[in-house]
Amino acid sequence: MSVAFKTKKVEYQKQWERFGFAMISPSMIFLLLVTTVPLVSLFVMSCFRIDLTYPLGNGWIGFKNYLEMMKDARFWHSIRLTAIYTFITVTLQVVVGLGLAMAFFRGFRGQGLMRVSVLLPMILAPVVVGLAWRTLILTPEYGILDYVSILLGFGSKPWLVDPTWAMISVVIIHTWQWTPFAFLVFLASLNAIPQEPLEAALLDTRTSWQRFRYVILPMLRPAIIIVIIFRTMIALRAFAAIFSATGGGPGTATEILNLYAYRVSFNSLELGYGAALGTVLLFITVAISLIFFRMRRSSTG
Amino acid sequence: MKKQGPKLEVLKWIGAAVKYVLFALMILIWAFPVIWVILTSFKGRTEIFTLPPRIFFSPTLEHYIEAFLRTGDIAHGILNSILVATITTILTLLVAVPAGYAFSRVIFRFRNQLSFFALMTQMAPPIGLIIPYFFILSRTRMLDSYSGLIAIHMTLTVPFSIWLMITYFQDLPASLEESAAIDGASPFTAFLRVVLPTAWGGVGVTAIFAFIESWNEFLYAVVLTGSRTKTVPVAIFSFLTTEESLWGPFTATGVTIMAPVIFVALFAQRQMIKGMTLGATKG
Repeated sequence: MSVAFKTKKVEYQKQWERFGFAMISPSMIFLLLVTTVPLVSLFVMSCFRIDLTYPLGNGWIGFKNYLEMMKDARFWHSIRLTAIYTFITVTLQVVVGLGLAMAFFRGFRGQGLMRVSVLLPMILAPVVVGLAWRTLILTPEYGILDYVSILLGFGSKPWLVDPTWAMISVVIIHTWQWTPFAFLVFLASLNAIPQEPLEAALLDTRTSWQRFRYVILPMLRPAIIIVIIFRTMIALRAFAAIFSATGGGPGTATEILNLYAYRVSFNSLELGYGAALGTVLLFITVAISLIFFRMRRSSTG
Repeated sequence: MKKQGPKLEVLKWIGAAVKYVLFALMILIWAFPVIWVILTSFKGRTEIFTLPPRIFFSPTLEHYIEAFLRTGDIAHGILNSILVATITTILTLLVAVPAGYAFSRVIFRFRNQLSFFALMTQMAPPIGLIIPYFFILSRTRMLDSYSGLIAIHMTLTVPFSIWLMITYFQDLPASLEESAAIDGASPFTAFLRVVLPTAWGGVGVTAIFAFIESWNEFLYAVVLTGSRTKTVPVAIFSFLTTEESLWGPFTATGVTIMAPVIFVALFAQRQMIKGMTLGATKG
């Protein structure tokens, strides 16, 4: 290989690398400015008292917001609700999604119709979804679900006015909205399993439960983990549907951490304390995603 | 060994029947609420509250007329939403498509760290971004401005667009740029003239998702917009207040918000589902 050719190759590689940097820098600089800088500001803000309604006394207060938070019953209540909301919605999505995917994975007629109907909840405006549930579906008597409940003899339910029922309602709405994602991912993964080992394994097992438990479930493990990661992240940032269905109420019955931080920041205009709540949410999100990434790495080898 | 007998036939038949009932139930559960909103928007004022609920009725456009004419808010909101979503989509593609290409095809230093950074920004909780954003924009008197809203909408669209484009570019054959390089084209020319034309499908799906994300977005819009830049997901709340609950105009506006998304979904369902599940199945 001649020296001239070698230097030309090095030259070309350098040009190629410069090109790569040029292509990514606009988006990286943008993301740094609009995500990293605000998140650092969020933490800084959380060490201030920033009350826009009573600006007197605003200023640096160190970790006082966090100390106050430890004693704040409403904060612990919102943490509890966030945990319940996330755990139940994600579990329901995985279980229902997996069940439906198992029922449908061998192909059948009418797939186009089903694809559209399961796609819609995920891509329609969460605000419209939340408001539609609040009015057309859950209104006593005139809401269609309440009407069906009466028809079936269960009677009218206090869907959005009773604290426990309100929580059940927002869980139902979220599950309705996002189970299709789990279903579609599992369906795609089932269809991607190579047929031969699957059929060979099916011959060895007796009951269909064994088949599911020892053959199909292990093959779906990576998909299940990924669905849990994605859905947990989405559940932690759930806002618009709950906001429009219950507004966090009645009282604080559906006030997950997200909504509490919103109400403190934009209804009470206590931005410092709101920022502290936001920082806690950020840490929870980062911690959970790191745990999941580790789980995923160990499962895929 | 399996025995083929009449018993098995019956079992098979029951299995198929169960499957079709499940299928019908699924469509009912997921499509029905949407269909119900659409039906209600065309019902007369009294028919909305008729029990038992009616599936057949004489349709009317009165709620659409009321929604658009009662105040200028809805029409203005739709124009704002179109403007914000369109510019968000264009700017997102301009920065995310080149980045997706470089991440998938070019080897450079810190590539893995930077692509991980792009992934992590997607996890940033919106409430954590909006608090400092609101504070900074209110200090710089930028509240109720289009540019502020568009910039923060792009925090949602840019990360997933980069990731979608990476998966689309990974599927293209490497011979594509190689032949262009042999012809003496610079990497950028090769990208523009040779690679991009083969990736329009991926760019289109990414554009659809970016547009929908911005079009539907609520939290940032409700905090940052005022009378000038209010988008339609914020404006729709005016029909359902504590004083009055106008189901007619609300559903009419809701249908207007959902219509473009439903329309796109009817034509591009296959590609959209592929785009949604791609990240999850390829991992």
